Amino acid sequence: MSEEFEGQLEQVDENRWRIRKSFRSDMRVDAIIYSPREVLPDILAGGAPKQVVNVATLPGIVGASLAMPDIHWGYGFCIGGVAGFDIDNGGVISPGGVGYDINCGVRLLRSDLTAADVRDRMEKLVNQIFRDIPCGVGVGGSYKFDRGELSRVLSDGAEYLLSKGLATEDDLSATESGGRLAGADPDAVSQRAFQRGGDQCGTLGSGNHFGEVQVVDEVYDAEAADILGLGRGQVTFMLHSGSRGLGHQVCSDAIKMLRNASRRYGIDLPDRQLVCAPVESPEGRQYLAAMRAAANFAWCNRQLLMTELRKTLRRFFGGTDESLGLRQVYDVAHNIAKIETHSVGGRDRRLCVHRKGATRAFGPGHEELPERFRQLGQPVLIPGDMGTASYVLQGTETAMQQTFGSTCHGAGRTLSRGAAVRKAKGRQIDKELAAKGIIARARGRSGLAEEQPDAYKDVDAVVGCVTAAGLGKKVARLRPVGVIKG
Amino acid sequence: MSKECRTFEHTADIGLEARADSLASLLEALAEGLSDLIAPRRQVRPRRRRTLSVNADDIESLVVDFLNELAAVLQADRFLVSQVRVISASETSTEAELIGEPLDAARHEYVTEVKAATYHDITIAREDGGWLGRVILDV
Repeated sequence: MSEEFEGQLEQVDENRWRIRKSFRSDMRVDAIIYSPREVLPDILAGGAPKQVVNVATLPGIVGASLAMPDIHWGYGFCIGGVAGFDIDNGGVISPGGVGYDINCGVRLLRSDLTAADVRDRMEKLVNQIFRDIPCGVGVGGSYKFDRGELSRVLSDGAEYLLSKGLATEDDLSATESGGRLAGADPDAVSQRAFQRGGDQCGTLGSGNHFGEVQVVDEVYDAEAADILGLGRGQVTFMLHSGSRGLGHQVCSDAIKMLRNASRRYGIDLPDRQLVCAPVESPEGRQYLAAMRAAANFAWCNRQLLMTELRKTLRRFFGGTDESLGLRQVYDVAHNIAKIETHSVGGRDRRLCVHRKGATRAFGPGHEELPERFRQLGQPVLIPGDMGTASYVLQGTETAMQQTFGSTCHGAGRTLSRGAAVRKAKGRQIDKELAAKGIIARARGRSGLAEEQPDAYKDVDAVVGCVTAAGLGKKVARLRPVGVIKG
Repeated sequence: MSKECRTFEHTADIGLEARADSLASLLEALAEGLSDLIAPRRQVRPRRRRTLSVNADDIESLVVDFLNELAAVLQADRFLVSQVRVISASETSTEAELIGEPLDAARHEYVTEVKAATYHDITIAREDGGWLGRVILDV
């Protein structure tokens, strides 16, 4: 694979690499990969750069086909892929640009607890969270919704939970898009998807999803951290999950529905996982309506997980949300397609922006941001591996100009699950983590082995790259002290 | 009828590779391989039967749809499978009988959540007088 790009990668600046559209006759725009030079050979050795090139061939794409530094191979789009399609110019929407786990994302809860408050009770705390948060393969949630209620979850997202007393206005204001994408249509979601996700709202799932207890171990911008309620030594809680089986089924249904549509609209596909249709076509609209519904389900999922977590913390520490200082910092989606207006070539255009394993990072002053963050820029949550750290960044004007207001989404995987399990053979990952001061609990047989720190790129380097490229500004670094995995 | 299925590694995910002497056996091998990944067949008793029919425009779509339908039966309908018997199979259509029982949480365990069977690097081909199938699963 690396030979294919030999001599084709042009350095734009310290962290940006371009493959010109002349590289392949079907490319409509350039492909641009953000990466530190040191890891470029690894990236080129995988299949992801070809996927960035493939996306550059899709109708209506504007600017460039982009990849963030946590780039790695995915289905259709690479993970870390970002692309904007001009809706008024035949621009398409593709489920391969969103992924199977629609609106997989991250939520961060802050507290007034300090590292000293939890140090001696960490094992008990993690065990309690592990008991209370439904996680693991095939595990149902504590909240059962009938068909009518589930339709409301899909159409109204977290606003529905607000009406049920399971969310607050404050939670919603600290959630991307207020926890609800308008235009979601439960009728665009199959019966199968309803069945598959029906009892999974409020469950963590398995794979790379997790819950973490963290300590703020570094503050880079005291003023920004203060606005977000973060200070050195404080305890935070992070949740990573998505739309569960419902979203997986919506994606599978869409790929099936769109495979003939691509042909009908005369779109030559370099990869069948890139099936797509113009946003303004019946098929495009149907997928968009179903994807939005799954995104709303995901926001309800993370909202219910946080509701459970808050209950556990109140019981465990004996207090109220107020006395414990529990407040949601933010919630981001990192697998999603959204209709946004961006300036392209000096003109505002209505784009369908796909972020697959990439996070929105709107800059200061953006009208979609709530008042209390508006001058700061959007809070961006970047989860790392369970042995290193996660980051809170703030969005930037540079991201608005270069990447449709987007940045990376995590560390990015380097080892297959099998390779990670082999690498863990004869080792006890939980004991290794404990030696580093991290209590970890996992439901699955090989969960900790598959998700061990060695399976991921260095999150410090990935975040270092996006901040050096101006696609985010560091606010705080969060060190894990307790981890639960499905 | 000879058939076999094994798993192989792919980046973050898992693939199924099956060999069989007919297309029907190949579908059976892939389906049973998928079942073993999601909820191992050895824990399932052959107590009930249900059918699964799939039509598609080409053989790759047929296999992807067949496996995705099965994944939904296992994970959404919670009907677990001990054996898959393909009654008929062409390159665009198949009908199969799923033999197994409804999920009983006391006896059964899901071990892997499979999001979907994908088209990535999919191979469904005749080989050495038999059939080869390779399908990558998003897990």
